Amino acid sequence: MEAQKVDMFIMSNAKYFESYQINGIRERLIALDDSKWAMISSVQLKDPTVSLIVSILAGSLGIDRFLIGDTGLGIGKLLTCGGLGIWAIIDWFLIMGATREKNMQKIQQLLY
Amino acid sequence: MSRNKLYALLSTACAAGYIWIIITFYQTNALGNDPTVCLIKSITGVPCPSCGSTRSVLSIFSGHFTEALYWNPLGLVIVLILLIAPFWIAFDLVTRNDSLLRFYNQAELILKKRWVAIPAIILILVNWIWNIMKGL
Repeated sequence: MEAQKVDMFIMSNAKYFESYQINGIRERLIALDDSKWAMISSVQLKDPTVSLIVSILAGSLGIDRFLIGDTGLGIGKLLTCGGLGIWAIIDWFLIMGATREKNMQKIQQLLY
Repeated sequence: MSRNKLYALLSTACAAGYIWIIITFYQTNALGNDPTVCLIKSITGVPCPSCGSTRSVLSIFSGHFTEALYWNPLGLVIVLILLIAPFWIAFDLVTRNDSLLRFYNQAELILKKRWVAIPAIILILVNWIWNIMKGL
């Protein structure tokens, strides 16, 4: 794919991924065929900031975990009042990284 | 999620659950009131959907099933997980299998289906309203 197109994608989507993953994504995208561009540019990524807000407001109910697709963990949090309140607080710090990991998994299915 | 991560998480959760039950069992006997750790209840004073499940689990372990259903029906689910998960994990570790991981992934897929998720959400909401009316 053209480097210009790829850089545009990286610039507008950098916040959805961990910083150490961005170089790898860029290299894969450049090596990728042009026909996949439509799929890559239309993939739905979750915003880490939104999941942080949800985690602070409704983390005890596990809704942050449901939001990023970790249904099992969400049920775990829901059943235990947010893991006795401890897990809910820990997740305020983990949820942004977890969201970025989920985004990476999603785009990896298209890249490889 | 990888197999080892899931198994480590589940065993930690089960261990924490058993420790919590033992602590509350002795504390309730000594003080006559229940300790609360629920963030929602501590901040707003309104119980959350799973408030009362410790009392429910304690009631089941002492044989009072109707009392357990009155405190919180979700306690039954917690008891089932607490009783089954350790044995399933041990079985998988001994036989070097990943049947629990496959079951977990399958259950996640089923729960994400709309005709399962919406009734489940409604049930949880009804339970929440009931909890508020009971004033747990």
